[in-house]
Amino acid sequence: MNPAEEIKQLFPDSVVSVGHQTNKPLAIIKKEGLLKIAEKVKEMGFDNLSVITGIDYGDRFEVVYNFLSYTKKQNLVLKVVLGHENPEVDSLASVWKVADWLERETYDLVGIKFRGHPNLKRILLPDGWIGHPLRKDYDMSVDQFVTVGEDGEDIVSTDGSNLLRR
Amino acid sequence: MWTGDIMFANAYELIVYILNYIGIYEPINDIFKMFGIEYVLRIIIVLVEIAVLLVFALLTIMFLTWMERKVVAMVQARYGPMVTGPRGLLQPVMDGVKLIGKEDIIPAKADRWVFTLAPFIVFIPALLIFIPLPFGESLIISDLNVGLLYIIAISAVSPIAILLAGWASNNKYSLMGAMRAVAQDISYTIPLALSAIAIVLFTGSLSTVDIVTAQNGTWFGFIPKWFIFLQPLGFILFLIASIAEMGRIPFDFQESEQELVAGFFTEYSGMKFAMFFLAEYAHLFSVSAIVVTLFLGGWSLPFLTFIPGALIPLVSLGIFLVKTYAIIFFAMWLRDTVPRVRIDQLMNLGWKIMIPLALLNLLVTGFLLTAGVFR
Amino acid sequence: MKTEELLINMGPVHPSTHGVLRFKLTMDGEIIKKCEIVMGYLHRGTEKLGEMKTYMQFIPYTDRLDYISAFPNNYAYVKAVEELAGIEVPLRAEYIRVLTLELNRIVNHLVMLGSLLLDLGASTMIMYGFRERENALQLFEMLCGARMTFNYIKPGGVREDLPDGFIPKLNEFIKDMEKRIDDYEQLISGNEIFMGRMKNIGVMSAEDAINYGMSGPSLRGHGVNYDIRKIEPYSVYPDLDFKACVRHECDSFARYMVRIDEMRESLHILRQVVDAMPPAKPVSQAKYGIAPMTGAPTAVSTYFPRIFTPPVGEVYSRIEAPKGELGFYIVSDGSIKPYRIKIRSPSFCNLTAIPKMVEGLMIPDLIAAFGTIDVVLGDVDR
Repeated sequence: MNPAEEIKQLFPDSVVSVGHQTNKPLAIIKKEGLLKIAEKVKEMGFDNLSVITGIDYGDRFEVVYNFLSYTKKQNLVLKVVLGHENPEVDSLASVWKVADWLERETYDLVGIKFRGHPNLKRILLPDGWIGHPLRKDYDMSVDQFVTVGEDGEDIVSTDGSNLLRR
Repeated sequence: MWTGDIMFANAYELIVYILNYIGIYEPINDIFKMFGIEYVLRIIIVLVEIAVLLVFALLTIMFLTWMERKVVAMVQARYGPMVTGPRGLLQPVMDGVKLIGKEDIIPAKADRWVFTLAPFIVFIPALLIFIPLPFGESLIISDLNVGLLYIIAISAVSPIAILLAGWASNNKYSLMGAMRAVAQDISYTIPLALSAIAIVLFTGSLSTVDIVTAQNGTWFGFIPKWFIFLQPLGFILFLIASIAEMGRIPFDFQESEQELVAGFFTEYSGMKFAMFFLAEYAHLFSVSAIVVTLFLGGWSLPFLTFIPGALIPLVSLGIFLVKTYAIIFFAMWLRDTVPRVRIDQLMNLGWKIMIPLALLNLLVTGFLLTAGVFR
Repeated sequence: MKTEELLINMGPVHPSTHGVLRFKLTMDGEIIKKCEIVMGYLHRGTEKLGEMKTYMQFIPYTDRLDYISAFPNNYAYVKAVEELAGIEVPLRAEYIRVLTLELNRIVNHLVMLGSLLLDLGASTMIMYGFRERENALQLFEMLCGARMTFNYIKPGGVREDLPDGFIPKLNEFIKDMEKRIDDYEQLISGNEIFMGRMKNIGVMSAEDAINYGMSGPSLRGHGVNYDIRKIEPYSVYPDLDFKACVRHECDSFARYMVRIDEMRESLHILRQVVDAMPPAKPVSQAKYGIAPMTGAPTAVSTYFPRIFTPPVGEVYSRIEAPKGELGFYIVSDGSIKPYRIKIRSPSFCNLTAIPKMVEGLMIPDLIAAFGTIDVVLGDVDR
């Protein structure tokens, strides 16, 4: 029995459906049961969280977690579907420390908030950046300019008129 | 030298002898005596000596900067400077021209006088050490009775100058860097002095010429009586301590760019900055010369009794320079090969390992000498 | 007497090849109390760009992620596309791919050794490392015309076959490299000062390391035998005989030694690949015209159409890049452009461990530990 079906057996009301993602077992779960299922997954031996992906489909957000177990040589994919307004999901930073930065990156680029995250700030873009670039409705016609202030922190503004232009 | 006694006490007497030989000493001396100021002639001769020494020292420093870059390049399988002059020999001249042309910046809140004086206070003691160094038979500016003590005392002036430089920059990182450099300097002066003192136990005299003449002759007909064979531990300690005092790799955490301070000469630019580096190379040469004098026999080599007397000073100068450059080459070779020592490991080495070893060396040497083991 | 904590900034500009990364260190005297990493100076929006280019057009972008080892980046992306669309690859192409991957592993580790030792103060190793790298880069140039960003591996195989004279030159390189690795070991590994700077520095337990998402040689230095080539084998690795290099001391020295071992293993693999390389099978091209412009099959590539629409679906595939686990997560909606590409870069995830690892160390130790994690900013910031 593959890991996704095990999860479905243990948490029958949190799991929406079970399937495959190109030869890896996939379980689509509800966002309320994420933390409990994550702890159980870690107990099952999946100690490697490979990647957290946030995807913006026009009408919903999806967060996909890929796991690998070294000892059992098995893969597992968990997927959480979120609504389009105010997407928010529990943070797994307490279970896998690597989730700390992966979730910060997802927040930064896709705009999904993670409840209980110790330090949810932007990581790749400067702190004052407007918008989340990987959303499909991100406005790419607006230029944002980043300069460095007196104390070494980045300043973001959409008005570049005071910068030198040739 | 090879027969056991030296021709002249110092270079002054050598010059007077040469002038006498040519025959012009007496007439000039009479002219001066007429005005009652014959001491002026003596002062002029001494000034000529010092001028020759200065020219030699500055040329050596310039050559050493070129040699360093070439040696490092050869070890790293590349060529080094090749464009400026034949094989890059004019590179130091070009570096000097570049540094003179740089803007001389003094930070706004720095202490102007101390800031300007500090590089010179670092540089001049490095030149002063050249005075009691025996470059060859009777080629010594002044054979001080306390030559070795004078050398160690003068090298102890440089921590003061470093602290002046760090303080005058009005920059907390420079001050921190200066304090670290002073700590390093002081920690390694002690094993240096202790290893040198073990040599004095053999000769009974602090004069550098006496130390060199004590290393004449051979054992069993072919091993020269150099102190390196009597004091191998002392040699190693002295070498390591002098490389640490100079602040070369592996002991140069001051200049490592990844450390948060760039060292006490952060705020210096242009010629003042150059003075620190000139001082470092002058120090490199003089320290290698001291190593050669103390442990490797100075200018003497045991098998050359066939050289005519007139050529002895020149040949001995040549031997001395060859030995000194061998030690300098070793220091440069060391620089390319090993990584840096961390500052706490450096302090550890200096205080907890080298000082006990130096004291042990001294103890064992004294013990064996009084027991009559040597001679 | 009270002492205050000092906030020190190890600024974005670094003297060795790591890149623009900023450390905000809270220090108590000489000891680091807290380390915060600020990144993003090299962020180029590769993932967003991926949504606007076709599958074939995205391959040059993958070159620029970890610019020191560009072949694995190419290959990870291409492997994901092949898994998504179920494309088969001829055997010779697989062998050529493994050849380039292992050669790139050696090149990557040479750069890591060089910049680690340059940080520590011995400037000779980087010169020797780059001299060997030059030979490897000339091999690459022979193969695909570029020295750093190759764009050589494409879905279905590789772009062109090996040129004449490549294999003899490669054999020469292997023989040369074998001797040089012994030279490097003699120069570095036994050096007291080096061992004093690296042993017991940057210690982290194996469970912590796995939890912080470390992978690759940095993780294998902690005694965790996790090599993707053994756990989830891909390409022709099941047919090759090699072992995953593991060391158990959990400190910087172990992480460094793993890379020396890995260079030797890569040479071992290269020899096997050269021996076992299948000959080029002739392919009838009458139907498709001139290859490879029209995506026609060649001896080293199967048919790959210019307008390529994979089936709808998602895939995540990972490979063992020289720095760790490199993975591409591709979401396809059936059109010619991917819907979402997410890059799981090894340097980004290895970097999460640094703030924990350097607590209680001094700045020179931070530099030594950071050098062994082997971070390239193109990978971190994408």
